[in-house]
Amino acid sequence: MALLTVRNLTLSLNAGNALVRAIDFHVEPGETLAIVGESGSGKSLSLLAVLGLLPAEMQVQGEIIFDGMPLHDFSPRQKRQIRGAQIGYVSQDPLSNLHPLKSVGRQIEEAILAHQRVGRKALRQRVLALLEDVGIRDAARRYHDKPAKFSGGQRQRVMIAIAIALNPSLIIADEPTTALDATVQASIIQLLKRLQQQHGCALIFISHNLRVVADIADRVAVMQQGRIVEQGEKHALFHHPQQEYTRALLQAGWHQHESSPRPTLTAPLLTVASLSRSYPQPGYFWSRKAPVHVLSDISFTLHKGEILGLVGESGSGKTTLGKMIVGLDSPQSGVIHLADKPWAGPDIPPPGPQHPLRHAVQMVFQDPYSSLNPRRKIGDILAEPLQMTAHREQGKPLSPAELQQAVASLLARVELVPELMKRYPSQLSGGQRQRVVIARALAMKPQVIVADEAVSALDITTSHRIIQLLSRLRAETGLSLLFISHDMDVVAALCDRILVLEAGKIIEQGSPEQIFRNPQQAWTRRLLEAIPGTQNPFNKGGHYEPAVA
Amino acid sequence: MSQQLLSELPELATSSSRLFWRRLWRDNSARHGLMIVSLMIFAALAAPLVAYLSGHGETEQFRDIALSDMGIPIGPTAAFPFGADDNGRDVLVRTLYGVRVSLLVAIPATTLAMLIGLFVGLMGGYQGGKIDAVCQQLINLVLSFPFVVTALSLLALNQGGENGPHVSPSLVVIFVITFFSWGYFARLSRGLVLDLRQQDFIHAAKLMGVPSWRILLRDVIPAVLPTMGVFWAIQLPANIVAEATLSFLGVGIPAPNASLGNMIADVQRSAMYQVQPWFLATPALTLFFIVLGFNSLSSGLRNVLDPHLEYRQ
Repeated sequence: MALLTVRNLTLSLNAGNALVRAIDFHVEPGETLAIVGESGSGKSLSLLAVLGLLPAEMQVQGEIIFDGMPLHDFSPRQKRQIRGAQIGYVSQDPLSNLHPLKSVGRQIEEAILAHQRVGRKALRQRVLALLEDVGIRDAARRYHDKPAKFSGGQRQRVMIAIAIALNPSLIIADEPTTALDATVQASIIQLLKRLQQQHGCALIFISHNLRVVADIADRVAVMQQGRIVEQGEKHALFHHPQQEYTRALLQAGWHQHESSPRPTLTAPLLTVASLSRSYPQPGYFWSRKAPVHVLSDISFTLHKGEILGLVGESGSGKTTLGKMIVGLDSPQSGVIHLADKPWAGPDIPPPGPQHPLRHAVQMVFQDPYSSLNPRRKIGDILAEPLQMTAHREQGKPLSPAELQQAVASLLARVELVPELMKRYPSQLSGGQRQRVVIARALAMKPQVIVADEAVSALDITTSHRIIQLLSRLRAETGLSLLFISHDMDVVAALCDRILVLEAGKIIEQGSPEQIFRNPQQAWTRRLLEAIPGTQNPFNKGGHYEPAVA
Repeated sequence: MSQQLLSELPELATSSSRLFWRRLWRDNSARHGLMIVSLMIFAALAAPLVAYLSGHGETEQFRDIALSDMGIPIGPTAAFPFGADDNGRDVLVRTLYGVRVSLLVAIPATTLAMLIGLFVGLMGGYQGGKIDAVCQQLINLVLSFPFVVTALSLLALNQGGENGPHVSPSLVVIFVITFFSWGYFARLSRGLVLDLRQQDFIHAAKLMGVPSWRILLRDVIPAVLPTMGVFWAIQLPANIVAEATLSFLGVGIPAPNASLGNMIADVQRSAMYQVQPWFLATPALTLFFIVLGFNSLSSGLRNVLDPHLEYRQ
């Protein structure tokens, strides 16, 4: 008998506008079901319905039967008794789901005490065992630490400890690794898998990336626009997808290398020579701490028309490097040359508005929500750089008609319709915004674009399309791109050459083929192993083949 | 591709100012606040009209008809709708003139304080470094003055003896109130600017080589203004009370002229409110409603202008 059966579940806010339409799925005891779909497909909502955590105004129809109990008929009080005790929940954002002022140990204790009466000593023993179990080292000492002292991955481990604290028979994990780095993601998935086997509980794993679930799922359900379009056993689904949409998701998950013709490398455009940057640590003058070295002795060149990937974990200094290249931060030693002219260094003033090459280096930011002024229309946002370029090249601004034309053709270059110019950024999707940000950078006619985690805030299909766009733009305009990411896979799909950054040093560089076939450093191998789906049998030969030429 | 992206577009927004008013009207506290505030402004504007219609001037005394034989002011009658005060003056007419004074002092003072605060906050927050440190210390210095003591001494200095005050006392009151409230505006705008300065869209403008003044004008000030507007409506009632406080203490609007503050002071001085509560209740309740109206308006404005509700439906 199935542990959880969801029959004909429909969720709607107002009549005729269902967010989830008549979905059916079930989970057997001890099994892992992955629910995959783009953001907004209703995957999280349907599981919140199982947990009884839907907003009150949501109308629920259909049956949810858990362990023989009709959850859809339960009162909030009855649901609360099930939730936490028999169904555990791990959410997406570990940063905001722990109380910042309570120690981690206390928070796990509370989860247990919500359902059971346990003596103080026994309670502490249990919490310590749980912390050890989820791989928090030195648990007795960390017990009293506040969440701020834990990294993102560790906090997610604490959330998992809370979820398994009462030995639930079902754990629901809603995108538990999306906010985490690639290597951390891999370790969290391993942990979930191990715990599931130890405790023999069932797991529902929600993700927007089919590839992430490849290692962990037994069965997969694919959701699109509130419906389950396809579900079935993992291998069957991966090998013989029935739906076009599933095929698209599969393709998006495994980036194809964009085969824009590689430029023959000519003169170096941007030269970085033994760059270093350290930040003073906060402290009083009598207890001054040694400064943190964020970057030390970085040297590389970016050629004209090249796409250079910069890979590293958070904290490896890749964002700082990007900021120094665009001129938002100054190095403490070393020098950057742009087109053979000094661009940045300790003795060179930061390039201000008057700098003749100011337009030549532009940036695409990680967060498409904060990189556009929410109070200005897209047309106005794009008009500004277009006018500046017109001033620079022709000495006079464009006429209103010319400007209108220029904005429309700029939007067309990033595959957006001209009607968008009348909208505000809040009326655009994340992918559309990122395209506008790219368009804004292009309008300056730059020679170099630095893209700092430009696709990591987007879901997998959108990010795939943005990568295609960047690749196409390079082929059209011959601009150079420094592509910063924590995701080895994305970088391999787009870049001609890869630099691996660890703790402020470049430890390895080479073409994607070299890096993937023959990584020299242990750290690089770890980054490669962290690419999800590598262990999976349907990946030919059991090891990852980058789809490179 | 473009076909698909087109289908993702939400409905076009109507003009944003019309939308703003519609949302403001839909918000309960904004609507109530707006109604009270407009009523008060209308009442203040209508003060001379009421005086003309009733035939009672602001400072005219009607001891023979408005005071009883014992010298106790009468309650509401047809001629004196809110009764009279202990000098036989019409409470309604005086209150309306009082509202006038309150608004005429508090609105310019608060607006001036907002402009000064905005300027100082932008300078400090955007430039940072030494300029910021100087601005911060200046704000701390100003905010550390005790309001009543400083105001009393300043206004006392202004009393020039036989020729009357050197400067019109209401100008001094405006100056004093401005002086004591710009610091809050400066702190608020500085905080907002510090946050904005870190936003990627400001970085993008810098990278394009947009000059600082244009970034301030196009990106920073429009983002700061709505919050400043909300705070203006929060600070205004406080400044109305400040004016009333000064008038109550006898250093604000000089005696025969009415202001809500000195009317309440009159009541308290004559102790006549024990037998005739009307001439205390009228100015006090009016003050209460002005403050309530602006507070309610400001909280509604905050709901409507909340940047987290940026999505224009």
